[in-house]
Amino acid sequence: MIEFRNISKVYKMGEVEFVALKGVFIAVQKGGFISIMGPSGSGKSTLMNIIGCLDTPTEGSYYLDGENVSGLTFDQLSTIRNRKVGFVFQNFNLLPYASAYENIELPMLFNGKKNTERKRRVNELLEMVGLLPWARHRPTEMSGGQQQRVAIARALAMDPPIILADEPTGNLDSKSGHEIMDIFSRLWKEGRTILMVTHDPAIAAFSQSTIRLLDGAVQENGAAH
Amino acid sequence: MRVQLLHLFWNEFRKRREKTSLITFAIAWGALSLLLLMSFGRGLSNAGSVNFKGLGNTLIMVSRGQTSKPYQGLPRARRIHIHMEDLELLKRQIPGIAMISPEANNNHSISYHSKESNRSINGVYPCFAEMRSQVPQAGGRFINDLDQEKARRVAFIGWNVAKELFGGGNPVGKEIRIERTPFTVVGVMKKKQQSSTYQGPDSETVYIPFSTFCQIDFQRFLDRIHIRPADPKDALFMENQVRRILGRKYRFADDDANAVNFWNTIRDYETGAKIFKGIEIFLSIIGGLTLLIGAVGVTNLMYAVVKERTREIGIKMALGARRRHIVMQFFLETSVIFFKGTLWGTLVAFNIVSLVNLIPVGYEDFGIKAYLLRPIFSFDILIIFLVVLCVLVFVSGIFPALRASRQNPIDALRYE
Repeated sequence: MIEFRNISKVYKMGEVEFVALKGVFIAVQKGGFISIMGPSGSGKSTLMNIIGCLDTPTEGSYYLDGENVSGLTFDQLSTIRNRKVGFVFQNFNLLPYASAYENIELPMLFNGKKNTERKRRVNELLEMVGLLPWARHRPTEMSGGQQQRVAIARALAMDPPIILADEPTGNLDSKSGHEIMDIFSRLWKEGRTILMVTHDPAIAAFSQSTIRLLDGAVQENGAAH
Repeated sequence: MRVQLLHLFWNEFRKRREKTSLITFAIAWGALSLLLLMSFGRGLSNAGSVNFKGLGNTLIMVSRGQTSKPYQGLPRARRIHIHMEDLELLKRQIPGIAMISPEANNNHSISYHSKESNRSINGVYPCFAEMRSQVPQAGGRFINDLDQEKARRVAFIGWNVAKELFGGGNPVGKEIRIERTPFTVVGVMKKKQQSSTYQGPDSETVYIPFSTFCQIDFQRFLDRIHIRPADPKDALFMENQVRRILGRKYRFADDDANAVNFWNTIRDYETGAKIFKGIEIFLSIIGGLTLLIGAVGVTNLMYAVVKERTREIGIKMALGARRRHIVMQFFLETSVIFFKGTLWGTLVAFNIVSLVNLIPVGYEDFGIKAYLLRPIFSFDILIIFLVVLCVLVFVSGIFPALRASRQNPIDALRYE
């Protein structure tokens, strides 16, 4: 489903070049639950961004569902982000001025889904994450765990096959963190592919296998727990 | 663009509305200035042309002159007089004359009861009134064809003459005396604006039928012939025709500019109209610049807004927003700010123009008031205004919107 062939990413900051990823080969099967670990600056986020089509590799090719997405335009990548990938961020990244309902609705607005369909889907998702009574509340009125659940619901709005989570429990207390992880486990069992960046081995324990990164290279791939 | 997206954009805009109120005011102010300057400029220009027409509306006046160069052995500095039969000659030979009238005048004493005055008495044809924009006040009339035919002793008097002899009373039907001959007043001239005169303004003049004038004050020469061409565009051509015909008769060169004198109001009018149009355009440009300052302010604000919402832009991009969605959002916000500002500006401008037009303006003293207090808010001004506005909205909105859409989603997401 996800295949990296010799992916490198180099950032240029003026004269200085920073190699974030060098010659990465990975392959993730459909339905996998992978955690990505490694120290700060090892290239975890860059890897996630490229998988999520937010960033493009400097070298190499990236196949998503058998399609080479390395050379696509911004708008084509937008469509992929919209339909195939759901993002969950460490700091939730909800729109502060919008209610939970509106935040969840957002990806469907960019896709032009019909009003009735959106309404049905948003309510379904709110119920799934247990926040139906909070539909009209803004993120600032919710706890971190609740916000992250809204963010997960938003990631699922377009029913994407892949969920990318960048330290989803990093800003949460352990109880909320476990609630979140329960949801991820459920999603995985429903057949979604989940990739998750984490520092916490306890969180990584939920996954099937782990990719360890160090200085932009894959150090270990697929070790079971 | 989906309606739902517009709804989202509107909600986001509404939640930050208070930040835009100052800049909305700047746009309103700019729109107000532009509209007012255009309206007042148009009013000025209009007052100018009304004043030119006060002397006479599309009118060529021919009067006596003096040759300025020798011709066929005749010396220069010969006086050329105009006679009554010249009028018939011109009428016969020049097609396209709509109206023609002689004018002979002399100063005479006029009196009503004990009041006496010395005024210019002019003998003219009935068509003179229309050529010279002379309209009788209610209850009166100008001299007519029958008056002319029968050489009736009737007089049409300027409003200042009426005031002098009759005070506030109604002069129509009253008998005045010109020298010792009794005349019946048939009408009083309605007040009009007049910016140029010869021998005093029309308001101080007495008009009687030309035939009657010949009986009381026989003159060999005419003072003037008034001609109105059927088509104002022929004015210059007709002037040349008149000069050639009279030149053949009185033997002076076709290009002798001084042999007979012309006062061509159409030419004056065109020059004057250009000057006033120039002022009008100048004022409009100043107004446009004021609005431009507002537009620059909006661009500035939008750049700040884009920066402030960088993270939100990143989030939207991650969720699948295309570039045009982002462009649209910021461009629409610019448009909404402009729309609100100009709506207020236009309303206030419209009301100011309407209110100013309520201030009474006395036309007898064609002073500064007539130029300044009659702004015109016309349809074409509105069209020009809207075109300028659209250009400004586009220019000031598109660049911040493009900057917003061209951000790198990763950097935008990381922005604090």
